[in-house]
Parts: sequence; C-alpha cells; structure tokens
Amino acid sequence: MTDTNGARGRAVARTPRARRTVALTGAVGFLGRNLIGLLEDDDRIGRIVALDIEQPTTAGRKTRFYKVDLTQPTVDARMAEILAAEGVDTFLHLAFLASPTYASAWAHELESVGTMHVLNACRERPVHKFILWSQTILYGARPSNPNFLTESHKLEGNRDSRFLVDKIEAEAVVQRFAKQMPQTVVSVLRMAPILGPTVRNYLSRYLGRRLVPTLMGYDPLMQFLHEVDALAALKLATMRDVPGVFNIVGDGVLPLSKVIELAGRTAWPVPAPIARPAASVLWAAQLLEAPSSWVDYLRWLCVADGERARKQLEFRPAFTTREAVLDYAGAQRLRDARLLRA
Amino acid sequence: MTKKVLGSDPFSREGEGEEAPASDAGRPSKRPGAKTSKRPGAKTSKRPSAKASAKDEVTHAPKAPKVPAEALEAMDATAEAPAPPESEAAIERAASAPPSAPTKSNRPEEDSAIDEVGAEASVTTARASDAPDNADASADESPSPSATEADGSIEDKIRALESQLDVLLARAGRERPSTDSDEATSEPRSERANDGSVEVRDAARGPIEEEPQDSASDIASGEFYARQWGRVALRDRAEDVDEFGLDEQFLSMAKPVIDLLYTKWWRVETHGIENVPDAGRVILCANHAGAVPYDGLMLAAALRREHPAQRPLRWLADDFVFHFPFMGVALNRLGAVRACQENAERLLRSSTVVGVFPEGVKGVSKSYRERYQLQRFGRGGHIKLALRTRTPIVPVAIVGSEETHPMLPTGPLAKLLNLPIVPVTPTFPWFGALGLVPLPAKWSISFLPPISVDGYDDKSADDELLVGRLNEKVRAAIQDELDVRVRNRRSLFR
Repeated sequence: MTDTNGARGRAVARTPRARRTVALTGAVGFLGRNLIGLLEDDDRIGRIVALDIEQPTTAGRKTRFYKVDLTQPTVDARMAEILAAEGVDTFLHLAFLASPTYASAWAHELESVGTMHVLNACRERPVHKFILWSQTILYGARPSNPNFLTESHKLEGNRDSRFLVDKIEAEAVVQRFAKQMPQTVVSVLRMAPILGPTVRNYLSRYLGRRLVPTLMGYDPLMQFLHEVDALAALKLATMRDVPGVFNIVGDGVLPLSKVIELAGRTAWPVPAPIARPAASVLWAAQLLEAPSSWVDYLRWLCVADGERARKQLEFRPAFTTREAVLDYAGAQRLRDARLLRA
Repeated sequence: MTKKVLGSDPFSREGEGEEAPASDAGRPSKRPGAKTSKRPGAKTSKRPSAKASAKDEVTHAPKAPKVPAEALEAMDATAEAPAPPESEAAIERAASAPPSAPTKSNRPEEDSAIDEVGAEASVTTARASDAPDNADASADESPSPSATEADGSIEDKIRALESQLDVLLARAGRERPSTDSDEATSEPRSERANDGSVEVRDAARGPIEEEPQDSASDIASGEFYARQWGRVALRDRAEDVDEFGLDEQFLSMAKPVIDLLYTKWWRVETHGIENVPDAGRVILCANHAGAVPYDGLMLAAALRREHPAQRPLRWLADDFVFHFPFMGVALNRLGAVRACQENAERLLRSSTVVGVFPEGVKGVSKSYRERYQLQRFGRGGHIKLALRTRTPIVPVAIVGSEETHPMLPTGPLAKLLNLPIVPVTPTFPWFGALGLVPLPAKWSISFLPPISVDGYDDKSADDELLVGRLNEKVRAAIQDELDVRVRNRRSLFR
C-alpha cells in the first residue's frame, strides 16, 4: 500500500467543488472539537456533520450534530443514512483515544471495530475523501529504527499494547479500503505525539509530574507536534485532495532529558531492568499514565520523517518540537500555580 | 553537572513562557488556547499606544487656541460624556486637592504622567486625547477653590490637569524613581505654561525622550536580570541537538578529555590526511577493535584537529552500542549514529564525512591474537551505499586501537546473556572503573588514497560481484597498510 502511495500522491488536485460538507467522528475529542471551530470559520465549508456521543461545545451555525456511538453494532447503517442525507463528501475519522485506557475492550470496539463500521458506511455511501488520524508511535520504538522513519516503514508498535494494536489494525483496514475504493481519496495523517498549551493527553500528564520517570542511562530523541500544527494539518488535508500516508511532525528533535528540563521538571531515572515490572505494577494501581509497553518509548528512538508531507501535502509546521515543549511548559506552569484550569 | 543547573534554572523562572511566542512572532500562529498573560515587556508594549494617543493629541492641538470660549465649553460637554466615571472621580479629587499640589515640585513628573495617561487609555485613544479638555471641564465646573479664584485661567487649568495626572499616576501604583525625569526639569518653564498646545507637544515628545530612563529603571530591577538571563540561556541552547543527536555543548565539554587522549595518552599521529577531500560527501572505512569503541572518537578528533577544513565526522556505530546504557547515549551525543542504510544515506545527502567500521561486532570481539587481522567486511553494505550515492571511499588504517582494550574470549558467556559481546578485558571489570583506563599504546591513523565509484551506473549497487570486488579492494588496502605500519613500529608504545 505504502509503496503505491508515492505514485498516487503525485496526483495533487484541488477540487473546484464550491462548498464542502465535512463529516467527522470523534467530534468532542481535542482534534474534533477544535477542527469544528476552524471549519466553522471557513467559507469553503458548507456544512459540518459532527458524529459523536455528545454535542461538541464548538458547534456553531454550520454544524449539525448526530448522536452516533461507534461501538453499537448497527451504527454503519445509521451512518450511511446520515452520509446520504447530508450529502457528505469529506469524512474525517478522528474517533481514536489520545491516551491509553483501562477499558481496553471498549477501546477495541471503538477503534478497531468502529473503524470497520465507519468504512462500511463509506462503502455503502461512497465519499469523495476519507481522512484518518493516525500516530507515529504506531511505528514502535525499537533499537533497529533508523533515526528518521519514513512512511514506507512497517507499523511495528509493541504487540502487547492494545492501545497500539487497535490503531494499527484500524490503519490496516483503512489501507485495504483505499485499495478497494480507488475513487475515494484516502489520506492517512500519522502525527507525532501532540503537545501544546491546551491539549491534555497521557504525554502532558507524564510531563506534568514533579518527578518524571525516565530510564537510567537512556535518553532517546523525542519529537513532538504542536496542537496548532496538528489542526492545521487536518485542515490542510480536508482542503486538498492528496492521497497517501503522511508523517505529520514538528521540526527538530530533543533528547528526553532536555524535554524534561524545558518543562521545568526533574527527571527520576529508574534502572532499566526493573522499569517494565515497576511500570506494570504502577499501571495496575492506576498510578501511571501509560502501560508498561510505554517503557520502549523512553528507551529507543521513534522519530518520523516529515519530508513527504512537506513536499506533497505542503504542510509546514509553524512550531518546532522545542517550541511545542516550551508552549506546553508555559501553560503547565500556570496550571501548577492554579491560574489555569486543568 | 553545571549544565543541568544552568538548564533547569532559567526555565523555572517567570517570563520564560513568553520567549517561545516571541521567537515565532512571524509565523502564522493561531493559538486556540489561553496564553500566558503577563508580558515581560509591558513597558515596551504600551509605548506604541502612548505614541499613538500622543499623535492624536497633536492633530487635535492646533484647534485648541483658536476655539472661542463658548465653543470650548460646548466641546467640554461632549467630551465629558465618554469619560469613564473613575476618571471623573479622579478629576474631582485632583481639583479639590490643595493648591500646593500643582507646584514646581510636581512639574518633573508631568511628562511621564501624560505618558502614563496615554498608556492607561491605550485601548481608547479618545480618552487620552480628551484629557486636557476634561481637565478644563473640571476646572470650570467644579467648585474647587483654586479654579474659582483664578477665574479659570489656562495656567490653573494646566495645574489642575497636572494634579489629576498625579492622582492617576498614584492610583496606577507604579513607582517611578525620582531620577526619572531630569530632562523634564531642564525644560524651560515658561514655554510650558503658554497654552495647552505646548503641553500637548511635550506629551508627544515624552515617550521618545523617556527611552533611556525606562531602561535605566529596568536595569535597577531584579526582574530585568532574570529576564535577560532567561533570554541568554535560551539563545545559548537554541540548538540543543542536531537531527541525529549530536550535542555541541556536550561535545565541547568532552573535548578536553578527547584531546588529552589524542595528544598525550595515545599520541596519535596521522598520515595522508589530504586524502580526505575538503568538501563533499565521503565515506571513511576503517578497521575496528576494542571493547570500548574509541576509534570513532579518535577518527573524529583527527579530522577536527589535523584536517585543513576541520571536517566534522559522523560515524556509524553498531546497534549493540546503543543497547548499553550511558555509553550509547554519550556516543550518540558525541557524533555516533546508529548504523543503517537510511541514516547513512541521509547523512551523505547533506555532504557529511561518514565513518564506517565494516567489521562491526566481529571486529570488536576479536581476540588479542587476531589483532590487525581484518574480519569479514559485513555484506558490503557500505560499498552498496557508496555506489548508490556515488560517494568516494577513503580506506583508513588505525594502528594502536586494537591493543587498548583487548577482549578476553567471552563468546559463550555473551551467548548465554543474549548480548553481542561481554566487555571483559584483562583489567575490566577486575579493577572496577580503573579497569576502563585504556592501554596507552601509540596510535597512528593512515588515510589512504580514495577509491572512486564514479565509473559505475545506478544498477551497480545490485551487482553482487562488483560489490564483492570493491569490498575486497577496500579491505586489501586497509590490510596492507596495517601490515606495513605494524611491522615498522618499534614497540607498542613508540
């Protein structure tokens, strides 16, 4: 799939259609919520169809909300009806969890099976474009990774982590969908971990600790994407028809130790051999942001190359990794002082 | 240690979060979230608005002397309406203040006071421009003794205005050093007392004249230094690491140690360094040995110290190096890069000197008896790399490195522990950290004439026979040079 992307990605064309109708799942998530706000302001968007279990707070004049639960078995038929009734031409699938959860069975239903439902609806009532939100952490942190992972690299995230496996499965079925439905433009945006002043996820909570656990003797290079750039990339993909897989990353890399330094925290090095058991105990006790498979990301490299997005999608991040961290740190400091609500 | 302290401190200070937004001022940033509200340059940010309001006043100014008294009163009536209530109260208080207030002693404050008003009303310039009129109004209408006694002469109006500004200033709670406005006192008193228009002109000039005074008061405050410190700290660490993890700061910290090893410990001598071109990409292909891979470091030091162009070297280190805690990170920060085709190609695309050790783990784990006997050169990955990127290969023979940390035969133990090697040498770990001190053998690094791959086409990288032949050519060149150098040295240490 990814090999054909290169060739298909050349067919960059701006569709001259007057006003788009955009449907998005996961409308109350961070990305969905803010993207609705951005799309509301854009004249090229005629209507926004928000699909979620709650009404997004940013819904405005153009937004029409449908209560859709992706974990329900008959949701695909209902979604196909909605797509037909609203005349949706662009579908953004953003209903993925930003942080690991204990409810892994529910997460599996939502992410893996939910994606299947979404794609079935898009098969039943074809859309012009399908955009999937994915993440670069799915490549997996491995000692054999090159310093910059390209889109052709396999998704080898830790198979022990349901959080990663569900997303890898979801991306696999989207790739299959792209092959089956050549008339649909399928863009997959693999984003680096998102950091910024307002986004809350496992990463912001991890860096929000007074003592940030790290692995003794290991200091991998980290790469982040500012929340504004994440939204800009989604909007860019909504506006342009560029099929293919894209790594959406901020410029530059920072060692984990520097990230913690910039965030004004203190690193707490844990000997590597005991880190994994300790992490699983702490995760079971609900004292940790992520399960033990996350230890890999504190040890090995998982940095992606954003060159293709730069060339084909013409995505330029406005914030570097460093600026994303600083921006996060500024807001986090206010949160620490209780000047900003968490 | 010092780096840690330096690093953590500036960022724990206030006014740091603003640095980042400042750095991307030119970017198309739309922030969805709340931003830090406290600006470090509150004074600088208000200045333009003060100037703007002052300009407004200038445009209004010519009118002032011309208008007749009744017209002035009509204007007052209109001007009163938009004035906020609290300024009204201030005017009342100012007007009722004893006449001692608007005396010479208060004069110096005047300029800054007007500036202050401009700043306060930075949102509504209208209010600032109306300020003189307002003062007139209060002087005319309020039952204050000073106003009634002086029959509303302009002089008193000005004084009323001054006292009003004083009150505003006091209310703003902003302390200004008394040295603040020396220039203002030096101004001729008479000119100022003429009419409102001159007053306005002073006000317009105020912010410009005040420039050095502002910074003077800034310098007196501790916050200024905190801000400057944060800024300097940020500038110094503008680039923490490059994209492959090289940390310039760490490198400069390690440089004295590396140079000591280079000059004093191993007394490295180089031959044929002119074979490394001054510019453009090149692959240095060297022999590899020792439990601790010093050879990459020394090769980098040789290029930095001896080469006329001081070319930086990025050498490819085998995966197993990065499995070790501390050592992997340290070598990465000093310039080592994980050996893989993607990394090497990316490095060569940016015209870097890339050092490769094709023996890899086999070289590191060879026994003392096998020293200077080149092991198999991998599967020729470096040759394929050179063919694909059309990069010349410079064979490098390093003599001395193979005696610094001779490995004991620990192959079975390594297999048991599932590690590529177990670093057990005659001294380590028996003597603890002391055992890590390498043998001070005499080193020599010979750069041999480059082997060009220009004559081959795109397909040649897949030609296994050609790759094998070139691989053997490079290997033979290094082995020959090693043999000559080893034979010709008088002892291990000379």
